[in-house]
Amino acid sequence: MSITAETAKQHANDPAVLCCRAEEGTVLAPSNFEDPAIFPDLIDSGLLNTDGALKLGQVLNGSKLTKTVDSLTPITPDIIDKYDELEGEEEAPAEEAAPAEEAPVAAPAATLAPVVGGTIKLHIGEGKNIDIELPAGLGGGAVAAPAAAPVAAGAAEAAAPAEQEEKVVRTLSRRHLRIDKVERGPETKIENHVLYIEEGIEEKAVESEKLVQSLKIDVITPDNYHTYSETIMDIQPIATKEGEAELGEGVTRVLDGVLMVVSGTDANGVQIGEFGSSEGYIDENMMWGRPGAADKGETLIKTEVVIDAGKNMERPGPIAAHKATDVITDAIRKALKKVDESEFEADLEEFKQVRRPGKKKVVVIKEIMGQGAMHDNFLFPVEPVGTLGAKPNVDMGNVPIAASPLEVLDGCIHALTCIGPASKEMSRHYWREPLVLEALHDPELDLCGVIFVGSPQANSEKFYVSRRLGQMVELLDVDGAFVTTEGFGNNHVDFVTHIENIGKRGIPVVGFSFCAAQGALVVGNKYCNAMIDNNKSMSGIENEVLECNTLCPEDAVRGVAMLKAEMAGEEVKAPERKYNVNVKTNNLELIEKATGKKIETVENEQSLPMSEKRREKYD
Amino acid sequence: MKYGDKIIRVEGVIVEVHDGAIGIDLKGRLGYLEVPVRMVISDYPFEVGQTVAWNMSFIEQEGPEVDEKYVSRLNIYTQKRRDIAAKKKDKEED
Repeated sequence: MSITAETAKQHANDPAVLCCRAEEGTVLAPSNFEDPAIFPDLIDSGLLNTDGALKLGQVLNGSKLTKTVDSLTPITPDIIDKYDELEGEEEAPAEEAAPAEEAPVAAPAATLAPVVGGTIKLHIGEGKNIDIELPAGLGGGAVAAPAAAPVAAGAAEAAAPAEQEEKVVRTLSRRHLRIDKVERGPETKIENHVLYIEEGIEEKAVESEKLVQSLKIDVITPDNYHTYSETIMDIQPIATKEGEAELGEGVTRVLDGVLMVVSGTDANGVQIGEFGSSEGYIDENMMWGRPGAADKGETLIKTEVVIDAGKNMERPGPIAAHKATDVITDAIRKALKKVDESEFEADLEEFKQVRRPGKKKVVVIKEIMGQGAMHDNFLFPVEPVGTLGAKPNVDMGNVPIAASPLEVLDGCIHALTCIGPASKEMSRHYWREPLVLEALHDPELDLCGVIFVGSPQANSEKFYVSRRLGQMVELLDVDGAFVTTEGFGNNHVDFVTHIENIGKRGIPVVGFSFCAAQGALVVGNKYCNAMIDNNKSMSGIENEVLECNTLCPEDAVRGVAMLKAEMAGEEVKAPERKYNVNVKTNNLELIEKATGKKIETVENEQSLPMSEKRREKYD
Repeated sequence: MKYGDKIIRVEGVIVEVHDGAIGIDLKGRLGYLEVPVRMVISDYPFEVGQTVAWNMSFIEQEGPEVDEKYVSRLNIYTQKRRDIAAKKKDKEED
């Protein structure tokens, strides 16, 4: 396929290869050439050899073919009448040589300083970690100004405008109550760190929802993790607001060491969320310690909801299962409200929403699922991760909705997640959202808020919400944006469209998604240059281990470093053609070196107990 | 995989539409596929009878080994469904 003049310019330093047969005497134009983006595939399959080929930039100046040649012929000096000499390359070729998906924090910036009067021409053939210092007076003083920008940028914020005071917009505190034991009793109450759940509360839960036929509560203690469970639909923290406080501010009371887990089937025994098959033994099927999963040592209060036959794949089915479970959670919340303050841990966990005027203003955009049925989320309930007062984003047309970072951490999302188990973000993920925490606590960033945008099913609707998102980001006047998505599938279409709609407004943007081998992006555009892969699994696939491939602190750290580099005007290096985990490891090492902080990386499914057979197969 | 790069265009007909999933019959009765809607790229609302197409290769067996984890999972699952069916039958007979 031929290319446009713009593409030709971008690829001026790539080999010139004809896309179609061309006759002798043809004056070469961009339309004669093949897109260099596909060369690696052609070279791999042996269809093309670009050795000795001239660069695109050399042959677009009126060069004429002296011979009739076939398609996919590289242009060499012997088949054209003239070509331009290679010019000094403007960008450091280290970019091409170094295999890195992401730019390091303090990327070596090889700059070509335009100087008034006299010439300073820097040409770097190949290199890494090059620091160039020029005396400030060189070139009659004119060099100081242009050179200052990239240098200061490397140190991110070294020369920020006059320091302005940080402003605390609001505060959210969590008051923790340790639960040592969960038991059944005549009423739901909390006493001496024991949580009693009312006997027979199941019936109330069943009665509350028409579609629910039965509900069973299992209390799974740490010594009992090797228990069979139906597909886990959601994992939720148990928390309630204190007094009149609204979600995202004031004090939230939260139970430590105990979580709600929603699971269920329809009356025929078919899983709700049939596709998110994480059914099986819990210890083998959950990636413990992920932001969205349970931690080892926590007790799980698991509901097994049975809904009417055939309703497992209709929207009301899973919603009924979630709402019925919330009847129980809500009873616990009410009990939690009554507990005397003295029983809680003395120290409050405090989150401050800090605005840092003068720092780089950024926004976190979280794409949530909105295709229907289990691809849905309840937004902004009255209680943390509750259902009362919440609106499903599908009903709201999936349009972008603003939230404060503290609302996110206070459970403003009740996730009705479905697939895939390894990459979906469950309710607890938002409670401990690593990217929001990282951006909120970074003294060099001014996080202005979080935007949730749904992912509708039809392409036309995807583009509709994406355009609204672009406009919203434009009016926020941010210096940079993060876009995250969960799972994979057609949500990647709007994910990259979001990035395009932000990128084309000149705003640097970093994308987060699970891609690796199985979830590779189906589309892309030129703004998708800075991406973080959330993959942790060894083979880069949906490995059916709950939460394994979700966004973790190590990904947040990389993303923040990458966005800072982008905002500072540094180039993010192109990725390798196939997923390679070394890119991530290299980047983490670079960040560690630049910041002097050790970054803990999480384990993957290899750390879980698994059958011998499976071990043989996958290792 | 030995033949993984042999890609074939496959066509199918939508035979089931749910809120979160669609069922597809492969043309020529070559199988049935049920996928979550998010795995389908669509421009219009789904309707039974619409045709779909995608690329795939043949399915290759990876080896003779049996993964006990999946077997035990499947056994529990089928047993559960059998119990439910039996219970239902009892109820109907009463």
